[in-house]
Amino acid sequence: MALMPKRVKHRKSQRGRIKGDATRGNHVVFGDFGLQSTQGGWVSAATIEAGRIAAQQYLRTEGRLYIRVFPHKSVTSIPLETRMGKGKGEPDFWAAVVRPGTVLYEIGGVTEEAAKICFARLAHKMPVRVRMIRRRPM
Amino acid sequence: MAEVLKVDVRTSRGKHFARRMRKAGSIPGVLYGHGEKTVALTVPAAALEAALRHGSRVVELAGGVSQSALILDLQWNTWGTEVIHVDFARVSADEVITVTIPIELRGEAPGVKAGGVIEHLLHEVEVVCKATAVPEKLKANVNHLELGGVIRLGDLEVPGGGKCEGDLETIVVQCVEPTAMPEEEEEAAAAGEAEPEVIGGRKEEEGEEA
Repeated sequence: MALMPKRVKHRKSQRGRIKGDATRGNHVVFGDFGLQSTQGGWVSAATIEAGRIAAQQYLRTEGRLYIRVFPHKSVTSIPLETRMGKGKGEPDFWAAVVRPGTVLYEIGGVTEEAAKICFARLAHKMPVRVRMIRRRPM
Repeated sequence: MAEVLKVDVRTSRGKHFARRMRKAGSIPGVLYGHGEKTVALTVPAAALEAALRHGSRVVELAGGVSQSALILDLQWNTWGTEVIHVDFARVSADEVITVTIPIELRGEAPGVKAGGVIEHLLHEVEVVCKATAVPEKLKANVNHLELGGVIRLGDLEVPGGGKCEGDLETIVVQCVEPTAMPEEEEEAAAAGEAEPEVIGGRKEEEGEEA
């Protein structure tokens, strides 16, 4: 099932702007290694799911994958060949708003080499540039 | 033997001075505790990073201030690559302190060979110990961890006579059977065009009915 909120206050949201770097959700908390975004952008629910599948297919039964972002934002679109106007379009997909520095995924219980390979596969799916990080000492 | 950090007393305040200081290779810090006056400090970035790399928690401050101090808190930049501020708390040698210590897994669990997965649930623990005997890390030996087995907080040995704080029944690491991946066909079937429920969205529905 595609990731999306269960209940929302409003079906449609304004586009917004991504300003500044992530001040929270920017370090590894649950696992041993993390995939940190170095760019801001929207990561759609389908992309998050594609990343999860790519990682899980490599990890198989080893280790554990944590998804650290959730698509809270609905993105609307206007159908093709429609004249402009007549109000805002209908929700098309759900996306997570990612600031530079946000940790997208974490992996625990695997070696660093395995995590590196897994994140490399996962990074191909991402619409933002990412890098691998480790746990901070404190 | 605690690592020695050469510090200077800082009189300058504010983000502009702090930024200049960081560019010059120093990190702003502060020393407090024991009911004494708070002192603003500068610490060489390289020395502090080396101390952190070595797992030091209690350091010996020298230079502007001569005092044993606990590295109580660190502020990192967004990327987690550089420390931007450090908090030191005054400690005396015979003082009993509470510090957060990382837990590291050691060994290979037989449960993994039996098809299980190791789940490291607790990565850090608060330890009460003497300031002179702060362990670098706690080692959880998983060499005897069978499938379905757990290691609890109470099972960990704290070197130097310290003890773990909190519920000793808390699970630190467990070996469990892997959770099966959902079939892709099931996923495709479940992925409908459903929309989330709108809170207070009654009027809209009524309007549509009318």
